[in-house]
Amino acid sequence: MQNGFVLRVAGFSTAVFTIITTIIITMHKESYRVVATAKSGCSSSVPSLPPPCPKSPPEYPDLYGKRREMAKVQMLEREIGFLEEELKSVDSLQPASRCCKEVTEFVVANPDPLMPTNRKNRRSCRFWKWLCGIPCFNFSWICCCCYSGCSLRIHLPRCCDCNCNCDPCDLCNCCSCIRCPAPNWRCCSCRSCCPFPCSCSCCCPCSCSCPCSCSCPRSSCCRNISCCSDCCTCGFPSCPDCSCCRCSFPECSCCTWLCCCPRWTFSAPKCPKSPKCPEVRLCSNCTKTCCNPCCLFF
Amino acid sequence: MSVAELKARHVAATETVNSLRERLQQKRLLLLDTDVVAVAGYAKAHGKSSVSFGATDLVCCRTLQGHTGKVYSLDWTPEKNRIVSASQDGRLIVWNALTSQKTHAIKLPCAWVMTCAFSPTGQFVACGGLDSVCSIFNLNSPSDKDGNLPESKMLSGHKGYVSSCQYVPDEDTHLITSSGDHTCVLWDITTGLRTSVFGGEFQSGHTADVLSVSINGSNSRMFVSGSCDSTARLWDTRVASRAVRTFHGHEGDVNTVKFFPDGNRFGTGSDDGTCRLFDIRTGHQLQEYYQQHSDDEVRHVTSIAFSISGRLLFAGYSNGDCYVWDTLLAQCIAGKIWPLFLKGNGKCTHMPFWLF
Repeated sequence: MQNGFVLRVAGFSTAVFTIITTIIITMHKESYRVVATAKSGCSSSVPSLPPPCPKSPPEYPDLYGKRREMAKVQMLEREIGFLEEELKSVDSLQPASRCCKEVTEFVVANPDPLMPTNRKNRRSCRFWKWLCGIPCFNFSWICCCCYSGCSLRIHLPRCCDCNCNCDPCDLCNCCSCIRCPAPNWRCCSCRSCCPFPCSCSCCCPCSCSCPCSCSCPRSSCCRNISCCSDCCTCGFPSCPDCSCCRCSFPECSCCTWLCCCPRWTFSAPKCPKSPKCPEVRLCSNCTKTCCNPCCLFF
Repeated sequence: MSVAELKARHVAATETVNSLRERLQQKRLLLLDTDVVAVAGYAKAHGKSSVSFGATDLVCCRTLQGHTGKVYSLDWTPEKNRIVSASQDGRLIVWNALTSQKTHAIKLPCAWVMTCAFSPTGQFVACGGLDSVCSIFNLNSPSDKDGNLPESKMLSGHKGYVSSCQYVPDEDTHLITSSGDHTCVLWDITTGLRTSVFGGEFQSGHTADVLSVSINGSNSRMFVSGSCDSTARLWDTRVASRAVRTFHGHEGDVNTVKFFPDGNRFGTGSDDGTCRLFDIRTGHQLQEYYQQHSDDEVRHVTSIAFSISGRLLFAGYSNGDCYVWDTLLAQCIAGKIWPLFLKGNGKCTHMPFWLF
């Protein structure tokens, strides 16, 4: 019963709404008809307006890309102009031989304090040259001491087949010429000492195998001479195996001489180009300053 | 004009540039009327004898100890009596070259220093490095409460590391820097501003990191720069829009450049293991200095210096060697000596403190 009443009320409301809507639409049509009649002078039916639709956004030109491309083209066209000018001027350039003449004349005309002078008497130099040129001359240390003032180049006798330093003069015995920087180091055969960077002016441990253990996790003995020290932090400049470095910026790679870029820059700086990191020689009981920096830390 | 049309013009212009460069190179080759070893050929033909050093002709006279890290750069005063050195231990040290005493030890705000330079009067020192800033210190100013010398000026503007710096001769107020941002900059130190920028994104200049500069001692308006783009370029400070001349030939990064004493030539050192001598007025490569080694390893040239007459070229290499070249005959006359740095008058050489 109650449902029936509700339905009858709803039905009555719907009917009223429909009647009102029909009246409104009819009124609009009448107004359109009036307008159409006013325009055409006849009372024919008027097409309805297209349904409204939102406007599409305006097309903005890609100014940045276009301007950049234009700038590149302008730069190239300017370069073309410069090159054409240079081509014209090349014809008036002097040949290379004239430049070489100028270089030679300048060098010859200017004194140079670093240029060696022949200070010794030529006669005495000839004597020492003869004496020291005798093969296997047993007193070749004399040659070291006495003819060092001669500007003539005198070769050491063959029996002394090492890179002796004549200062201080010493017997031209391979090992006695060499002063080992560390007490526990000794000369191995001067020729077959450890290869680079060891040279006969600096003794190496006679065992060329790497004596130390590497603190860097992935480092290894480098050329049987040394391995890296605990250099894998950005505080140390040298790192033989840069794979153990960790860079705070992804753009910075190891294998730069600084290993990592510093942290304090807000934008990742570009790591400078670099040669390979030099090898560090580990010097365990070094008590003297030598060419190995780790000596400084003892 | 549409972007597509612009791109087509870009391609055409690039082809034209390459073609013109090729023609220029061909024309230059015609002017090389000597053989490849140009200066050496001329010098030999004119009876120049070789230089030979005795055992005591080139010896170390000073060892300056004090740095605890690798020394990357040093410079002399024009009076030739003091040296400034820059080290990765984060300090600049000023030395009395005659007594070996340290007169200043300047703690740097940034330890990653790559270059240093003395001003012409000797009153200021400049340094630069990974902080992309060139810092100026007045050696006569008082220290702060921590005992550090404060910076008197910071020259900011580079977008990359400062690889090299040099004061303009006779001017304490101007210096030139080279940078990893592919540019060189002429600075007005008084204002701290850039007077000129050489190269850059939309200017004709280096296309890679610039590693070294050298200002012409005879004409301070001209300087050369060396870069990772394998070229050296000559610049006029009055014309920043493009280089006066570009010098090709090297096959690797040009790490170091230095003017020849006569001011009309300059030397370069490169990753390709060679040093070369170029003429600035003609662009000719006059000489190459290279020594083949038995192990075939290429040793990069890291630094060079000429003696006062230009007869000797000192070249430092990446393996720590230093060779002395006879520039006229292109012969290596002394090798495997410790790296040397020459005073302007060529009178004394100093063994530096190269620590690894």
